[in-house]
Amino acid sequence: MTLRMFSAIRYILLFIVTILFQIFFFDRLSLSVFFAPMIYTLFIIMLPVNTSSAATLACGLVTGVTMDIAMGTAGLNTIATLAVSYLRRPLLSFIVGRDGLREVGAPSPKRMGNRQFFEFIAAMVVIHGAVFNLFEVFSATNIVYTLLRFTVSTLASLLFIWLLGRLFTYKSASTL
Amino acid sequence: MYKLIEFIRRSYVTILFVILEIAAINYYAHSTPYTRARLLASANSVFGGVHGVISGFGEYFSLARENRILTARVAELEQQLTVCREAAGDVGFEPAELQYEFMPARVVSNSINRSHNFITLNRGLRDGVVNDMAVLSPSGAIVGYILDCSERYSVAISVLNTSFRTSGKIAGDGYSGSIEWRSDNPHKVTMYELSKYANIEVGAQVVTTGFSHYFPADLPIGTIEDFRMKEDNTAYTATVRLATDFTKLHNVLLVKNIGQGEVMQLEEDVKLTTH
Repeated sequence: MTLRMFSAIRYILLFIVTILFQIFFFDRLSLSVFFAPMIYTLFIIMLPVNTSSAATLACGLVTGVTMDIAMGTAGLNTIATLAVSYLRRPLLSFIVGRDGLREVGAPSPKRMGNRQFFEFIAAMVVIHGAVFNLFEVFSATNIVYTLLRFTVSTLASLLFIWLLGRLFTYKSASTL
Repeated sequence: MYKLIEFIRRSYVTILFVILEIAAINYYAHSTPYTRARLLASANSVFGGVHGVISGFGEYFSLARENRILTARVAELEQQLTVCREAAGDVGFEPAELQYEFMPARVVSNSINRSHNFITLNRGLRDGVVNDMAVLSPSGAIVGYILDCSERYSVAISVLNTSFRTSGKIAGDGYSGSIEWRSDNPHKVTMYELSKYANIEVGAQVVTTGFSHYFPADLPIGTIEDFRMKEDNTAYTATVRLATDFTKLHNVLLVKNIGQGEVMQLEEDVKLTTH
């Protein structure tokens, strides 16, 4: 099996696992009205650093549409995932520099440095959560509760995505 | 021309992004609770089975509690039945044609952490579920109403959905107010525009009015926890503690209003003739 195929299979698995995890675990949590972590963006965050803008956008579209159907959100997830997918490359370029964009594997602490890795994840999660909640607020009644939900959920998403992202890149940093 | 092609070649991702984003925003902006319920109902043909298994596990741990609630409910209904039987025996009462049909269902998935929450139930078209059926908790308090059904599953709008509206009144009182969820607490809803003449006090029971197409009259909604007079002194705004605990909802009752189709048809006819 070529390295490319191995990598493709890993990403397909990552896509399936994050989506199942989101639908069957995080979306079922009834801890608080403000606690709604969204970890499925991990798939877009973990795409290889050198993924083209068009391919990232396509991945964002597929992820968003899948989540919209599964969560019954009618476009809300797609709006948010398209935004992070479009901004992913400029963000990476800003954080690791233009030369860094030629890296072949997934973003990882080893490849980018701990601080840059965290900054990248944080920026992606915050943008996703902000767009998601901004559009949701148009139909919700109270902006204070939306802000609270955005803050609590984004912090929770960030924690989980950082942990899962480290797990995904733990052994494979050199091979992927 | 060359410049145009070069511009498109260089910025096609941005153009594509803008087109896709506009399409998604347009779809979202035109969506209604019905669109969302339809999406969920279609997703349930794939995910419903797994949701059912997971909720089955969860339900196992709450069996004792559910059992207690059901036994209490059976005792309460037995009591009412005895009273009714005695009364019926006294006057030689013949039961009228049934207006409501009840059906038990299991909650397959239920969220509380969105501003638009929905509940998926394990009963669908093949079990005779139709849109607009009321969903009640085992103790008879309101939970929501059915928006869409697939063959094996149905999706209900939850009271914990900012698009949910119904009317409520203080039990034994004639004045009604509008019940809405403010998305801040899964145990509380707000009752707006309750007349200043209403007989309100903390702890008073709030029940359905029967004005809605979905819920029969006098079903429990919750109890008054707090209330205040509006600044213009015309009506009360009250906080109502819900009778249903949505964080522990495993079993529900579906209620079909047999005369509802006829009522809606009549209203539709009136609308047509008056416009």
